[in-house]
Amino acid sequence: MSAWLRLHLHAFAESFRRLGTQPGAAAMSTLVLALAVSLPVLAAIALKSLGSVAAGVSTEPQLTVFLKPGASDDDVRRVEASLRADPAAREARFVSRTQALEELKAKTHLADLLAALESNPLPHAFAVRLRAAEPTALAAARDRIARLPAVDQVAGDFEWTERLRRWVRFGERALAVFSALLALTVAFIVGHLIRLQVVSQKEEIEVSQLIGATAADVRRPFLYRGFAQGLLAGVGAAALSALAVYWLESELRALTPSYASEFKPYFLTLPEMALVVALVSALATAGAWWAVHRELRKFSPSKGNP
Amino acid sequence: MIQFSGVAKRYPGGREALRAITTVVEAGEMVAVTGHSGAGKSTLLRLAAGIERASNGSVVVQGQNLGALGESALAVLRRRIGFVFQDHKLLFDRNAFDNVALPLRIAGMPRDEVGRRVRAALDKVGLLDREKAMPVALSGGEQQRVCIARAIVNRPAILIADEPTGNLDADYARSILELFQSFNRVGVTVLLSTHDEAGVVWLGCRRIALANGTLAAAAA
Repeated sequence: MSAWLRLHLHAFAESFRRLGTQPGAAAMSTLVLALAVSLPVLAAIALKSLGSVAAGVSTEPQLTVFLKPGASDDDVRRVEASLRADPAAREARFVSRTQALEELKAKTHLADLLAALESNPLPHAFAVRLRAAEPTALAAARDRIARLPAVDQVAGDFEWTERLRRWVRFGERALAVFSALLALTVAFIVGHLIRLQVVSQKEEIEVSQLIGATAADVRRPFLYRGFAQGLLAGVGAAALSALAVYWLESELRALTPSYASEFKPYFLTLPEMALVVALVSALATAGAWWAVHRELRKFSPSKGNP
Repeated sequence: MIQFSGVAKRYPGGREALRAITTVVEAGEMVAVTGHSGAGKSTLLRLAAGIERASNGSVVVQGQNLGALGESALAVLRRRIGFVFQDHKLLFDRNAFDNVALPLRIAGMPRDEVGRRVRAALDKVGLLDREKAMPVALSGGEQQRVCIARAIVNRPAILIADEPTGNLDADYARSILELFQSFNRVGVTVLLSTHDEAGVVWLGCRRIALANGTLAAAAA
């Protein structure tokens, strides 16, 4: 085994041993860091879940076209022809009033109530799938269809999906800013922890430098300590977020079928979790580097002190 | 082995510790640097060990011009020179063994090799049975010996000692000087500073006498 490899392995093992010598302090700092990291992770999970709703709905803008109650079969055919001719419509499916009533009976618990009605109160309708387009184009298509003869009203709430999409985009930007700030926080917290250790080991560093330790030799153990701290914090953050999502998920499951079937609670995949851990470790190492660099400038043996 | 050519050292603030020093220490030699306190003895030794850099002139050690070396190359060179510090510079949070092992661990030596060499070094200074002792539990002379063991553990070709007999009584000082003599006998170049005239006479070695930062005389 080369001296180089041995130095690194030793520094790596030593960094965890050092954390173990002060388990209380190590646990506290790991928890603080894990909490700081789990905030943007949870925010990202929330956004991703919300984003899946927006994506699921908005790719296929839909309209429901209700015909006037007294519309005849001829009216139905004329409207159908117009819809098929409309460049904005991808597909138009006719839902007759009887069919609509059957579906309503099947899907809801209103069967008894509906049976008590003398006549079917529902109108004929078309379910129209539009080609995805700008909200203004979609609104224009809706207005055009609403003006067709025998059409009573057109229901199409694509604005809210667009609005949701914009909120998700806004959320993603806010998350980016928030993550950047918390990344800096992680680097600074670890930097500060390492700086304290550097100061407390000032003597050892000075003696080591006097008897032949290079700047890299001095830096190495502290970088590994920062890395170890980051690694633990990253794993801790992944565990905390997993716990939080698990706790929320049961509530969400109960909520989703009646509200939005597209909503799927989302958790980080293994590669994403590995990425979080790697990022936090890298940030912590960078913070440690910065701290050691700053402190070392103060005592280089061959440059200053007589 | 160690060559000073027109070496001067000024410290920040303008104090001039050494001026125009030109002298040489040959391989295998044992040389004592003498002079009053403040004459520049420590500075000369620190320049030779690559702990400080000359302000002017060149210091060449084992064929390498220290002024031309970068920071890390200079640090690596320091590993090949044993240095006994006047104030020992032991680490008080670890025992004698770990203090002596420090240079080997910096170099990334395997654990069993470290153990072998540290025990050999402690044996040479007569402290093999004290390897577990913390520095506070050691006497001043014993601390000095641990420091010497740390200086020789890397088996350097050059051993430099700054006032190694400074605070020791005459008998103990004599035994420390004997120790340096024994290293010199096996081929190690020894450069030590002292203000103990009797010690230098007893050693019978060449001397470099400094006065106010210049060479006073270079005769034995």
